[in-house]
Amino acid sequence: MYQTKRTFARQDIKLYDLIIENPNILLMLEYFGLETIVGDYTIEEFCKKNNVKTELITTITNLYNGFHNIDIGIFEIGDIELIVKFLKNSHTYYLREKYPEIQEIIRKIENKEKSKEIQLISQFFNEYFNEVAEHLEYEDKIVFPYITHLLKKTHQNTYSFSVQEYQDHHTDIEFKLTELCNLLLKHIKTENADYLKPKLLNSILELEQDLYVHSMIEDKILIPLVHKLEDENKFD
Amino acid sequence: MKISSIKYKSNVYIIEPSDIIYEGLSNILLKYSNHLNVFRLENLEELELINQNSELSIILINPNCCYGNLKNFQNIKKNYPKFLWVAIIYFVFKEESLQQFDLVINILDSTDQIVHKINSLLTTTPNESQTDFSQLTDREIEVLKEMVKGLSNKEISEKLNISIHTVVSHSKNISRKTGIKSRSALAIYALTNKIISLEEF
Repeated sequence: MYQTKRTFARQDIKLYDLIIENPNILLMLEYFGLETIVGDYTIEEFCKKNNVKTELITTITNLYNGFHNIDIGIFEIGDIELIVKFLKNSHTYYLREKYPEIQEIIRKIENKEKSKEIQLISQFFNEYFNEVAEHLEYEDKIVFPYITHLLKKTHQNTYSFSVQEYQDHHTDIEFKLTELCNLLLKHIKTENADYLKPKLLNSILELEQDLYVHSMIEDKILIPLVHKLEDENKFD
Repeated sequence: MKISSIKYKSNVYIIEPSDIIYEGLSNILLKYSNHLNVFRLENLEELELINQNSELSIILINPNCCYGNLKNFQNIKKNYPKFLWVAIIYFVFKEESLQQFDLVINILDSTDQIVHKINSLLTTTPNESQTDFSQLTDREIEVLKEMVKGLSNKEISEKLNISIHTVVSHSKNISRKTGIKSRSALAIYALTNKIISLEEF
């Protein structure tokens, strides 16, 4: 028995129950490109029906539920393609949906409050959004194609990317959201922004959790797999 | 800040082969102690998967899971300086082995005893999240003002006549107390707290 605020997912638990408890799991299904009608299927039944690996979905579900102790042993080189798909789709979601959503709420607050502080918050967020966009673009244009080439064995040179650089950047991306929460809850007064602050906070926290899982998947699952793949290719 | 590890909660990781002991212990802790997240680990290696720089963590471990090798255990402890180590013992162990731990729980302890022991461990340890850090010192405020104006650490050290090392340690303290690290966010903090005025900005 593992106990946190959320259920520890096992393959015999119904996806419906897990999603009702933590709706971000539905987001996860979309990232994997899976259907979002879950019926009364257990994780195992759902995965068999959709032809994906049960352990993989169960593990990532548990990451979403706050269980960080992942058994990386279950992941294989054959899973890389699906993981990359997950990451690519989540990038699209961040860039087209999530960050603009937060930006829009801040803009609404700015219109109602007209204070210097909110203006600065808006500026802070826009700058941060640009940084994130740049980082995601780097992954989309450099890292993922590199991995695809490795998988197809069409890779030419010996270029690799640094795991450390990767991880530092993630920490930074998440930390700025924490800073934003701190500023909003401890320092920034709003008087006319009816119900927008809680809405903003909700949106930020959802993103923060998603980014956390996202970077766990990249750092703890994808990168070790890619190193394994690089080694395999060397001996070919 | 992570969703799954809210600041005031401490994480407890139990490394114990017996299901009965684990279930019993975790239930006692969840029911009667305050603000704990309880996790089970299969072995010491799984510690690597824990996010170490987050918050106060306690490891409850059956000494038999320390490979019965004290030296090895000492090395592992060194790798995790922030963790508190509690031994779960079924019977008599050598005194010198148990000295390695911050606390010993015997399976014959009553619920009250266990809860009391764990709580005392939590309160005697400086828990950053419980300390009031809202106040910056005068010197920290001076450094903050210069940081916000966009001066580099070197320029600040020259201006305030202190070493770069001191500037860095002040700025670390500022971040720790405010939960804010980037200069642009610190500027907003300084403005809302009237440390700098709009004109200075």
